[in-house]
Amino acid sequence: MKLDLRNVSVAADGTPIVHEADLLVADGEFVTLVGPNGCGKSTLLRAIYRALRPTAGLITVDGDDVHRLPARQAAQRTAVVAQETPADLDFTVSEIVRMGRTPYRADARADEELCARALDRVGLSGAAGRIFATLSGGEKQRVLLARALAQQTRLLLLDEPTSHLDIRHQLEILHLVRELGIATLAVLHDLNQATAFSDRLYVMSAGRIVAGGPPEQVLTPDLISQVYGVRAVHRTQLVFERLKEEQ
Amino acid sequence: MTSETRQQAAPAEVAGARPPVRRRGRFAGLVVALSVAVVASTWLAVSIGAIPVALSDAWGIVADRVVPGVVPGVVPRTWTPVQEQIVWEFRLPRALLALLVGAGLAVVGAVLQALVRNPLADPFLLGVSSGASFGAVLVLILGASALGGLSLSAAAFAGSLLALVLVYVLAQRSGRITPSRLVLAGVALAYLFQAAYSFVLQLAQSGRAAQQVLFWLMGSLGGARWDVLPLPALVLVAGVAYLLLQYRPLNALAAGEETAISLGVNVNRFRLSLFVLTSLLVGVMVATSGAIAFVGLIVPHAARLLVGADHRRVLPVTALLGAVFLQLVDIAARTVNAPQELALSIVTALFGVPFFLWLLRRRSADRAVNVS
Repeated sequence: MKLDLRNVSVAADGTPIVHEADLLVADGEFVTLVGPNGCGKSTLLRAIYRALRPTAGLITVDGDDVHRLPARQAAQRTAVVAQETPADLDFTVSEIVRMGRTPYRADARADEELCARALDRVGLSGAAGRIFATLSGGEKQRVLLARALAQQTRLLLLDEPTSHLDIRHQLEILHLVRELGIATLAVLHDLNQATAFSDRLYVMSAGRIVAGGPPEQVLTPDLISQVYGVRAVHRTQLVFERLKEEQ
Repeated sequence: MTSETRQQAAPAEVAGARPPVRRRGRFAGLVVALSVAVVASTWLAVSIGAIPVALSDAWGIVADRVVPGVVPGVVPRTWTPVQEQIVWEFRLPRALLALLVGAGLAVVGAVLQALVRNPLADPFLLGVSSGASFGAVLVLILGASALGGLSLSAAAFAGSLLALVLVYVLAQRSGRITPSRLVLAGVALAYLFQAAYSFVLQLAQSGRAAQQVLFWLMGSLGGARWDVLPLPALVLVAGVAYLLLQYRPLNALAAGEETAISLGVNVNRFRLSLFVLTSLLVGVMVATSGAIAFVGLIVPHAARLLVGADHRRVLPVTALLGAVFLQLVDIAARTVNAPQELALSIVTALFGVPFFLWLLRRRSADRAVNVS
C-alpha cells in the first residue's frame, strides 16, 4: 500500500488552502505531518479521504486515483480517525465500531468477530455495550481507532489523534498505531512526539510542504523558528515513556 | 501502582456494559409486542364509534369479507347490515389509513433527524408538510382543472418536493449542508407556505370550503376509503424496504458527513435519494390525511429510547410505534368530543408539546441546536 500525492492543490469553500503538495507514504511507514494551526494539514488530509476534491494534482492509493475510485472501494483502502465525533445519537460502542464494516458486504457473524477483535486491540472489549457519548475523550478516540481497524484498510489517516488526551493515553494511542504496522499518515501537534514516532516527517507552512525527511534531519532549530516563529532550545527535560503493560 | 489501578478500573467498565445479546432479544420481543398492539388497536378502532359494534362482531364482519363463507360455520351472524357497512366501508379503511400514515410520518421523521443530524427535525420543521399542504389547498380551492388536472395527491407531492428542493438549495453551500442553516431555511419556508395557503383560503371566501380545508390542514382521516389506500401502502412499503436495506449508510450519515464519506458512502447521492424518498412519503401522506403534526417528531425519539440509535432497529420500531400511536390518536379524536371529530393535530399536540419541551430541556438537544 502506497499513498502518493503529486502536485496537489486543495481549496475549501473556494479559498485555496493547500498549494502543490508532494507527499509519499510507503508500505508500513509511519509518516507525520506537522505545521502551525491553519497551515492546511487537515485540509490536505480531507482531500485524501475524499471529503474535498483537489483543484489540481493527483492523489493515488496503490496506484489508483482515489477521486476516481468508487466510494466503497476507496473506503476499503483508506480509514480515517478524524476529529469529528458522532455526538448526538445514542450509538453504542459496538455500533460505532461496526460502522467500519459499511464499505463491505454485510456478514453478521464475521463482522461481529472482526469488531470484537478491533475493540480488544484498543483495550475496550468490556465497553462494547456502553453508549459512545458517555465515554471519556481517550476512550472515544480509541473506539474511533477500533472502527478504523474494523475497516481493514492498509492505509490509516489520523487527524490529531492525541488532542484532548492526557500524556499516558497519547503515548498509548501512538504506540498502538505504530505496532499495527499499517501505512499511516498522522497530523500531530507535538513535535517531540512526532520526532519519536515517525519514520519520516513533513512540515507544512502556509499551505505548502516546506520540508520532508527523517525527523532529526528535518526539525532543525532554523526550520522551526522559520515555520512556527519560536526558538527551539535543547534542554534537559522530563521525557515521558509508556510503562509496559504487565499481564 | 499504575497497573493495579488499571486492573481495578476494568470491572467498572464491564459493569456499565450491556450485553448485546440481551438487547437483540429485547428488540425481537418489542417488535412482536408492537405488532400485537397494531392489531389490537385496529380491532378497537373498528368497533368504537357512534354506532357501537361488539369486538367479536367486528372480527366476524372483517373475516366474513376477507374470506367469504368462513363465518357461518364458526360464528353466528349477530350483526346488522348497517353495522357491516360501517365497519367495512368506513371504519376499517380509516383504521388502516391511520396505520399507514402514522408509520409513514414517523419513519420520515427518523430519516430526517439522521439526515440533518438534528433531533428537532420533523416534516413540519423542514417545511415539507407546509409545502404539501399548499399544493393540496390549491387543488381543493381552485379545483383540479386550474392546475392542469393535477390530483390532490400529485399536487401535495409536487408541493412537498418544491419545499424540499427550496430548503435544500437555501441550506447548502457549495454542496455541503449545515444543520442549523437547514432548520432555519425549513422553518422560514414553512411560514412562507403557510402564508401562501392562508392567502389562497382568504381569497376563496367560500366559508364552507375554507372550513373543510382548515380542518384538513390540521389532519383528519375522515376521507379514508378503500380506493385511497393502495398508493400510501405502496409508497410506505417500498420506502421502508429501501431504508432498511440502507441502514448502514443511514447510521454512518447520522454519525456525521465526513465519517460517512470516509466509510465509503456516496453522501451526495445518498442524501438526494433520501430527500426524494421523504418528500414522496410526506407528499402522499399529507395528500390523504392532511398535515398531522408531531408524529414525525415524537415517535422516532420514543423508538430510540427503546432500542438505541441503530437504524436497523430504529426503523421497524418507529414504523410500528407510529402506526399504533396514530391509531390511538384517531380513536381519541373520534370519541372525546363525539359526534364532533377533533382534528388530529389537536390530539397529537396534546401529547407532542410536552414531549417537545422535555426534549428541549435535554442537554443533547441543546448541543445539537447550537452546533452549526
